[in-house]
Amino acid sequence: MGRYVLQRLAALAPVLLLVLVIVFSLSRLIPGDPATTLLGPGATETQIAALRAQLRLDEPAHWQLLAYLGGVLQGDLGRSLKTGAPVLNEILLRLPATLELTIAATLVAVVIGVPVGVLSAVGPNSALDHAVRLVSLAGVSMPAFLLAVLLQLVFGIHLGLLPISGRSSPFFLDDPITGFMVLDGLISGDLELAGDALRHLLLPTAVLAAFLAATLARFVRNAMLDVMTEDYVRTARSKGLPERAVVFVHALRNALLPAVTILGLKFAELLGGAILTETVFAWPGVGRYMFDAISNRDYPVVQGATLVFALLFMLVSLGVDLMHGVLDPRVRRRMG
Amino acid sequence: MAEALHFLRRNPLAAVGAAMLSAILLAVLVGPWLSPSPISIDMTRKLVPPGLAQPLGTDFFGRDVLARVLHGGRATLAIGIGVVTLAFLAGTAFGIVAGFLGGWVDLVMMRVVDALLSLPSLVLAIALAAALGPSLQNAMLAVAIALAPQFARLARAQALSISVLPYVEAATATGSTMMSILWRHILPNGIGPLLVQASLAVGSAILQTASLGFLGLGAQPPAPEWGADVSGNLQYLRETPWAALAPGAAILLTVLSFNLIGDALGDWFNPRRRRME
Repeated sequence: MGRYVLQRLAALAPVLLLVLVIVFSLSRLIPGDPATTLLGPGATETQIAALRAQLRLDEPAHWQLLAYLGGVLQGDLGRSLKTGAPVLNEILLRLPATLELTIAATLVAVVIGVPVGVLSAVGPNSALDHAVRLVSLAGVSMPAFLLAVLLQLVFGIHLGLLPISGRSSPFFLDDPITGFMVLDGLISGDLELAGDALRHLLLPTAVLAAFLAATLARFVRNAMLDVMTEDYVRTARSKGLPERAVVFVHALRNALLPAVTILGLKFAELLGGAILTETVFAWPGVGRYMFDAISNRDYPVVQGATLVFALLFMLVSLGVDLMHGVLDPRVRRRMG
Repeated sequence: MAEALHFLRRNPLAAVGAAMLSAILLAVLVGPWLSPSPISIDMTRKLVPPGLAQPLGTDFFGRDVLARVLHGGRATLAIGIGVVTLAFLAGTAFGIVAGFLGGWVDLVMMRVVDALLSLPSLVLAIALAAALGPSLQNAMLAVAIALAPQFARLARAQALSISVLPYVEAATATGSTMMSILWRHILPNGIGPLLVQASLAVGSAILQTASLGFLGLGAQPPAPEWGADVSGNLQYLRETPWAALAPGAAILLTVLSFNLIGDALGDWFNPRRRRME
């Protein structure tokens, strides 16, 4: 197992390098002279020259790349063209908001999606199965921004039950302990803050969780149906095990493997969805920051946010791979 | 054809999806000829509620919402289908070879896939579109690049788990060539999830392009596009929800019809699940 972990980590290094090269290349795709394009028509010669120097545009491409890699290794993602602040600091400031949202959505999706998928698979083609399939298909077909707008319309505007923008009401002081506002409120014993933060968290979480829960339900159902025809399930049934034991001990355990893989894969879409959700709900996370940066043509921020999203996703994928090794002895043996 | 009819008869949900998709295709192909211009502005008739003259009402500029939905659908459907076909063929071929061969070949091939997959596709698409400059073509390019590796990874996972099964061992032992094992054993037994993925990917492709449009990075105004039309009408959501919700519903229904068909196809091509029907 130790060797497997080391192998996975070693495999990450070239991927990380390739990702950095891709993210670096993004800024070189800006048509024309990036400095002129980014600064817009109102820029002076001096400003353009200064930005050209900052972006090292006058140096050969491989030096630019090496300088970028060196910077990233030292935690330097460049500076925002808009504010001049280091991009990494700005992103780290907003990261907890994004993590709070994505973690909450993942938890909600697992708690809803897995049991629903199992129920659907236990009676294939039953009325319940058809209902689950239809609803979960609608869930994965729903554009995140449309669901966000609908929830805002119903719960915010018509019913007036929940706040439709921001992370907390303005009168709460921002004094982060963990950076997760709901947790912070609970830790510091400020139940009012926790409640307020939770109310703000509900709608964005619902938007993100909807698509993920639907995806999970679909895949758990399909994986369960596949597993239920396996010989070991037939053996378990024929030796007289109660159906409950067959489903939960023999089938579910094996069906969860592909579900874990899918959950890891879908984390990428969750991050993409977070950009849309944060934009619609004015949620002060990395996604919203990236969106604002696009409007401001603040490309170093777009690049930095892209890299951070990629790193987050790589971490989750590594976790999923390791879990796969733990859960499936066949994979472990094959991988050495 | 007979088999297609048989398939639809046995899968009511897929039949609903096929009917929805046919209706959408017909509307999007024929509709634009019959409807008024999607970009002609008439400020005397702005924000008119749905009625006889304008079945879906008008937007803030007095443009016919139905006309915009019909015109906007053409690009959307072309993107979805074209992009996914390419991504499916390239990704699947790449993935099953890597998964079956294993070892060093697999390791190297998968690093390339991993690097592309490590960039969440919508994030990559947004970053690309922001760099290249917002346009529908750039949005499509980004979505196409982003989709192929998903197929490669899933195909590899399928090949990996199937290649350890006894019947592949038996085929190897009896001297089958690699091509015949891939074609006769691994592809048929592993294709179910890939088809589900492909059908979902048409949906994803449409969703992602619309998302870029929603963020202002896809089709540019005044060109009609579903995602951009949702965000363009958000300001007037309180007074005239139809202008934003109609193109949104068009996205939902189109993606849903693809997913309904793909979901049933997944079951159909999976011999183990087919037996239970």
